[in-house]
Amino acid sequence: MVLTSLIFLTFSIITLIIYFVIPKKLQWIVLLASSLTFLFYNALTVNNVIYVLIILLSAYFGALLVHKYENTKKSKIFLVLSIIIILGELLILKYSNLFIVSANHFNNLFHINKQFNMVSFSSPVGLSYYSLIMIGYIVDVYRKICNPQKNILKCALFMSYFPILTSGPFIRYDKMEKELYTKHKLNYDNLCRGLIRIFWGLFKILVISQRLAIFVNTVYGDISTFNGTYIIIATIFFTLQLYTNFSGSIDIIMGISKIMGIELPENFTSPFFSRTITEFWRNWHITLGAWLKDYIFYPLMKSNFIQKIGNFFKKIFGKKVSKKITLYLSMLIMWILIGIWHGGAYTYIIGSGLLQFFFIFLEDLFGPLSQNINKKIGINTEAFSYKLYQCIRTFILFSFSMIFFRATSVGNAIDIIKHIFVYNPWVLVDNSSLYTAGLDLLDFRVLIISLIAMFIVEGMQRKENVLDKLFRQNIVFRWAIIYLLIFSVIIFGMYGPGYDPATFIYRGF
Amino acid sequence: MERKEIFERLNNVFRDVFDDESIVVTDATTSNDIEDWDSLEHINLIVAVEQEFGIKFNMGEVTTMKNVGEMADIIENRVK
Repeated sequence: MVLTSLIFLTFSIITLIIYFVIPKKLQWIVLLASSLTFLFYNALTVNNVIYVLIILLSAYFGALLVHKYENTKKSKIFLVLSIIIILGELLILKYSNLFIVSANHFNNLFHINKQFNMVSFSSPVGLSYYSLIMIGYIVDVYRKICNPQKNILKCALFMSYFPILTSGPFIRYDKMEKELYTKHKLNYDNLCRGLIRIFWGLFKILVISQRLAIFVNTVYGDISTFNGTYIIIATIFFTLQLYTNFSGSIDIIMGISKIMGIELPENFTSPFFSRTITEFWRNWHITLGAWLKDYIFYPLMKSNFIQKIGNFFKKIFGKKVSKKITLYLSMLIMWILIGIWHGGAYTYIIGSGLLQFFFIFLEDLFGPLSQNINKKIGINTEAFSYKLYQCIRTFILFSFSMIFFRATSVGNAIDIIKHIFVYNPWVLVDNSSLYTAGLDLLDFRVLIISLIAMFIVEGMQRKENVLDKLFRQNIVFRWAIIYLLIFSVIIFGMYGPGYDPATFIYRGF
Repeated sequence: MERKEIFERLNNVFRDVFDDESIVVTDATTSNDIEDWDSLEHINLIVAVEQEFGIKFNMGEVTTMKNVGEMADIIENRVK
């Protein structure tokens, strides 16, 4: 079920109506029923039911046993066992092909005459989200951050809460316990805020992202025709497409939850205003970063393995250097895992893993040096122009890495990068060339105005909650903004091929 | 072990980890009071404290302790 589809809209409205008319004691059961419907809407197969049950039962009983035997060895055994089962299922269903491709490469390299065939498993929707969420839950019980949920149906709701199944955010049991199972009243303020947030998400996806996608797909689909400047624009567009699509989905998810009175953690906080890649990742897919930090990075840094390496280098290079070595090593491991999580292919491991690590590594290594140089030659690093330069640099670095993320293979990515170096900037001024890649003049105008609007809102959001600000305005202005948003979505939204209301309404004149 | 002794030893660990001989920690000291105390140094600090006192914090404690006082409470209970 796509979040912007009519079926999801209908599904959400029905859920919301039942949620608020039913006795409040039963609200969570409505949510569970909706979530299970959502979970199995695409494919209600025996396999999918088994896959979901394996994770639910391992997490449910795992957490109970970890709690029951707390402070004993058994507790750790059950912790490890349940994690292995959940992680094992995730690895097999999602990442088998990564191992197969790697094994084949290895065999080729050493002339071993054996090639494995690729496999394809149908994995249930949301698997890469709820498997990690449930691992986090068991670990939190082990760490005594929360008590296990004794009601298996409530545990199932935590695992399958439908809004987050497609794009997150990652949730934590100790934070969600109050949100999911308590009684919620329909509240006018929540309803307004929720609806505006949903429309803001729809605006980002339907007006901006879908439009950008047309250009990106056309250019990346035929890089020998659309080379040089086209690829540069498409690369910038892809970063924006990815962001508006992902954060727009999160807006819809948070909006629906807000109406029900359920607060979810924010996943994006204006990432394009970040001055470094390090800062960028604190504002982009925040809940994934937080999950990895708590469940992988910290334990890794604390592990005997990393500590031993640290002690070894401490004897040779001293404390400061050995600290850096263990830090970089842990970071490298974590970034590879982030890459793998994004999808089981080398393009993701490079694009959203290794390159990000490399940028952050360079920033950490050369940051102090560049600060010193700036000080010596008297550059004001707090001036607007310098901040702007840093934001643009961060955007360019991230966009570059996203070439790998978007490419069909590593070879394809290198091919795309090669085709950038065709000098044809005149397509920007030559009136018709730019409009041959799927978008016309009107589309570009809509895009530019929408993007400016989005960046203004995000800039304001960094200082204070934009909705609070909007609600303080007088009634006429407030509703004018809300209507503007709603009608922008209706008129300029792209609902799929063959149905473009902008052509419909606008160009009929 | 007396609380006073715990704080003396903690002081040494903090000075060593943050390379700052002027640090004096109290019950109320938090990461806001020490410039280099970010989430990364926090882990280095935890490991150093564990080695100093021969104890292990569990990760729940690592992520939830709010100030040095809470850290000392845990140490006090652990080394009894």
